[in-house]
Amino acid sequence: MIIRACALLFLSSLLLAGGCSDGPKTTGMKVYRHSLNGSPTSLDPAQSATIYANHVVVNIYDTLYSYKYLARPYQIKPNLAAAMPDVSEDGLTYTIRIKKGVEFTDDPAFPDGKGRELTAADFVYSLKRHFDPKTRSQGSWFWSGRIKGMADWKQAGSDYDKEVEGLKALDRYTIRIILNKPFPQLVHTLAQGYSAIVPHEAVNYYGREFSVRPVGSGPFRLQTFDSVRAVLVRNPKYRKEPIDLAYEGYDEAIHGKFGIEKIEGRAPPLVDRLEIHFIQESLSRWNSFTKGDEIQYAGIPKELLDDVLARKQPNVLLKPEYAQRFFMTSGIETGFVHTDFNMADPEIGYNKDKRREEMNHALRCAIRYAFNWHERNKRFYNDMGVIFPGIIPPVVPEYDPDGPKDSLEYSPEKGKKLLEEAGWTADKLPTLTYGGVAQVDTRQIFEQYRGWLTKIGYPKEKIVFDSYASFGDFNKAVKQAKIKIVGMGWGLDYPDAENTLQLFYGPNGSPGSNNANFNDPEYNRLYEQSAVMQPSPERTKLYRRMNQIVLDSCVTISGLSRQEILLWHKNVVSYPDRSIVGGFHLKYVDIEEAGK
Amino acid sequence: MEMLQYALRKFITGIPLIIGVTLISFLLMVYFGPDKTYELVGKNATEEQIQEIRHQLGYDKPFVARYLEYLKELATFDFGYSDSTGERVNSILKRTVPISLALITPGFVLGNLLGIALALVAAYYRGHWLDKLIMGGSVVGMSVSFLIVIIAFQILLSSNDGLGWFPVRGWNVYSFWDYLRYITVPTLATVFVALGYNTRFYRAVIVEEMGRDHVRTAKAFGTPPGELLFKHILKNAMIPIITRIMFSIPLVVISGSLLVESYFGIPGVGKVTFDAITTGDQPILKAVVGITAVLFVIVLILNDIFYKLVDPRVSLK
Amino acid sequence: MNTLAEETSLPKESESLWGKAWYKFRRDRTGMIALGVVIFFMFIALGVWAGLWGSGWSNVGGDMWAGPSPEHWLGTNIIGQDIYSRAIYSTKTAFEVGMVVAILSTILGGILGALSGYFTNSWVDELILWLMGVLDSIPFYLFVAAIAYALQGYPYSMHIAMIATFWTTTARLVRGEVIKLKNFEFVEAARAIGLPQGKIIFRHIMPNTFHILLVQATIVFVGAIKSEVILSFLGLGVVDGVSWGLMIAESTQEVQAGHYSNFLTASTFLFVLVMAFNMFSDSLQDALDPKKVSA
Repeated sequence: MIIRACALLFLSSLLLAGGCSDGPKTTGMKVYRHSLNGSPTSLDPAQSATIYANHVVVNIYDTLYSYKYLARPYQIKPNLAAAMPDVSEDGLTYTIRIKKGVEFTDDPAFPDGKGRELTAADFVYSLKRHFDPKTRSQGSWFWSGRIKGMADWKQAGSDYDKEVEGLKALDRYTIRIILNKPFPQLVHTLAQGYSAIVPHEAVNYYGREFSVRPVGSGPFRLQTFDSVRAVLVRNPKYRKEPIDLAYEGYDEAIHGKFGIEKIEGRAPPLVDRLEIHFIQESLSRWNSFTKGDEIQYAGIPKELLDDVLARKQPNVLLKPEYAQRFFMTSGIETGFVHTDFNMADPEIGYNKDKRREEMNHALRCAIRYAFNWHERNKRFYNDMGVIFPGIIPPVVPEYDPDGPKDSLEYSPEKGKKLLEEAGWTADKLPTLTYGGVAQVDTRQIFEQYRGWLTKIGYPKEKIVFDSYASFGDFNKAVKQAKIKIVGMGWGLDYPDAENTLQLFYGPNGSPGSNNANFNDPEYNRLYEQSAVMQPSPERTKLYRRMNQIVLDSCVTISGLSRQEILLWHKNVVSYPDRSIVGGFHLKYVDIEEAGK
Repeated sequence: MEMLQYALRKFITGIPLIIGVTLISFLLMVYFGPDKTYELVGKNATEEQIQEIRHQLGYDKPFVARYLEYLKELATFDFGYSDSTGERVNSILKRTVPISLALITPGFVLGNLLGIALALVAAYYRGHWLDKLIMGGSVVGMSVSFLIVIIAFQILLSSNDGLGWFPVRGWNVYSFWDYLRYITVPTLATVFVALGYNTRFYRAVIVEEMGRDHVRTAKAFGTPPGELLFKHILKNAMIPIITRIMFSIPLVVISGSLLVESYFGIPGVGKVTFDAITTGDQPILKAVVGITAVLFVIVLILNDIFYKLVDPRVSLK
Repeated sequence: MNTLAEETSLPKESESLWGKAWYKFRRDRTGMIALGVVIFFMFIALGVWAGLWGSGWSNVGGDMWAGPSPEHWLGTNIIGQDIYSRAIYSTKTAFEVGMVVAILSTILGGILGALSGYFTNSWVDELILWLMGVLDSIPFYLFVAAIAYALQGYPYSMHIAMIATFWTTTARLVRGEVIKLKNFEFVEAARAIGLPQGKIIFRHIMPNTFHILLVQATIVFVGAIKSEVILSFLGLGVVDGVSWGLMIAESTQEVQAGHYSNFLTASTFLFVLVMAFNMFSDSLQDALDPKKVSA
């Protein structure tokens, strides 16, 4: 009896302590509940490596540039910057003027708790932070080796009082960047969450906890944040900039049906409260979405695709019962999945023995023949992904729709023949380690892959799944070049194929992004040559030549860009996008009626 | 006074246990544990950056230094900052432990109370069909995997294919009503699984008590069943029962809800711990393991004191 | 059973214990049925091991989430693998995990428990008790996860983790029994004629704890199979091959979309085996418990 009474007491005290407190008072407020299939860990812009982090970061902080709301392909536009940068003849000096009177939100980090004006010096500080080891920047590779004097600044101990020659605030509102060599993608990098502008007061005040207590000047302020959701509220001090739909790329034919014309002339942010729910399980997310009063945006779980879609080709169409309730867009992702061979491994890649190296080449090409893109697409990407040869995905302007497709061919017979011709026999074949995180889908992808390989005569027991319990450990094995075959995905940071071509640039080898450790003199030369070029037909030609080199060396099996289907409730005025940067559209989202 | 001295002495004897637990878990989880470095590096890292991060995480320090640092953290109850989010470990615990408690307590309490009730019935009707039914049921309960129960209950009660009465996942608790909605399915699942084990255990305890001479004598003298039950049987059966409950507490508090929370997406300490395991967030792991160990020692002490209170024959030496 | 008793030179009263137990167990209908089911599963596992069936578990030929058909009795999973073959093959995995963990943890628990019980109040006992206390205070899944990490890439990390945690219960029981036994006449006698301690412990005392070890082994077996499921779900379990746990992990997303075959198949196999083993274990306990002779 006593236990029972105690338990009740205990319970009720728990309830008082643990919860109930910050119930949403949303009466009369416009609340939009977004959802994502993953959660950010850190909200420090310098660590905003995922689209999940960017969804929050670009809405709390300001970036100099941004992408136009509706225009596709993506077009860059000034955000905090007053205009596009003035670039010198030689492409090395950028002068950027920023808007006046922009203030950080009020926060205890500031003296008197009042947010002060954001100046050019704040941008300089924010970028310098990436080269301060204490920041643990994940985005410094965008600018490392590119900004004049930055390496020396870091070498000298990252003292913020010391100036960097290539990164200065000329006056309160003018920034000057000087580059070592031309970097035409610079403006794109200034639209990323990485380049968001942070006040040094907050960084110092919160110390390590700055990553969960962001203080910015963006359209929203953070209210609460944990691993299941982030709650943002309108920043009342955000500058009033009426929306000009024509400028943002409004097209009646595409956007008309979503009611977007209603936001013309209004100033973002359009909702009072923005909740971003992080729900990993796609079906749970779907259930919450279809319930009606929970999240208002989601994708379709692949298991339910046939139940929800009326057709997949040539364009995606919802079944009437869903079309009645939801809006939908679909398009291919700005990224792709590919499977790389680790060229640093002498059993499958480069080898001092030239004869063996040739055999390895044949082996890789044979494995590529065994790879059945159609089946991969059908089982894991809803049969809706776009398969393309090489590493220039369809979403970038340099993509060649007429390129040779032979690298995508599935032909176990050809693979088998190739192996025989090169002198491979079952007992000579090396044991292949296929690395991955111990998750259901990774394992299934591996098992499918193994199934195919047995069809070119590869012994089953020689194809091993190297499972890692955490992504960190998997990444470690990749970065230390320990795995023979690596399945990876790459999301483009900006819509320029340079961002994917660097994946095979020799000097970027492990621990860099070149997981294949591909190192081809001609490729490297072409990359260096094209990296400083402005977009032009000549550059596109170089890009495509590089693509061909990658294909000819059978260094990767690539690639597939996934189809994304995005759905949202009909009372939400939105044109969602989760590809580039992540979340830059959220400040334009509106809700038809306020909450009761 | 005597009691306090006793407790203190007990705590000192508990120190080797704490050292043992922390040492073993430190060795496994921290020293040989997952490497966080490669989670923190950017997409295009350099060797130099990797070294910088390793240095900041303290991976380059010798084992002994790191372990002593851990003991200091445990003693001062200050575990620093999470390696993933940068949030203070203490504030993470403060946020998540109440949620876990609120989630797991009803199931824990119900599971034990129902277990005792069923055990009493079974023991009372020992050998009768009712006893067989209850014991058969508990074997079934013991044989179903917790994971299967969770999945099945979620389908049946929460999903649109089933009844759809409760939220599928998440934790949007703002009122008592919300609270009930969110804990129902996890609670049912926990009770279902715990009931089999609890009933069997409690039945065995009670049957043993019922077989004792004084109970038989009392029964022979015509003591009413109620009095017999509470005064003679339950009072003595309380020792093993309380022991069992107390020893489950540290695990329940800190990590008991790991599976439930990760499956239902509830941001309690179980999920945080699980995420810390899979990402190698060592400050959190250190805190969780350390606190569990300390709780265990405290429970050991309380248990001894409790024995003493219930049974004066146990001496406080 | 009698031959076993003679070989290990059990004292007189134990001999009758085993004989009686066997007699009692034979008359326990539930226990016999349960044993039959367990043997049947074992037969399946042996068949897999001998390559008689289940070898097609990794083939990816079939359709996606196909329903039951003469070709695929229980349908296929997302990549077209035959669910029936996978469930059959998983029986072997389950027995492998169960046997390895049960046998090794029982041996470990038996030896350490006996040592600890025989040398009560010496440093050996203290040390073993301390170790048990430590292992019991680390949350199970955390501990297993930690071992899985520390031994990453090593296929038996899960087994080792389970052995390391499961032996303590056995050891405690054996310790208690040994403390009781060591004051018995036959031990005193053995000591009196100057037999070495090792011989006393392992030849004279240990055989008298066999009934505890046997029952404990069956309990651990069940515990191991059940833990495997959860560990595999958490991504810490079986590294190579397939198991019911992996199948259930696969199914967690599918079931919500109405593909139940993976889930139902794996959980039925698991349930039937665990249930049978639990009942077998119960009957065994009843049969071996001398106090319960008249119950």
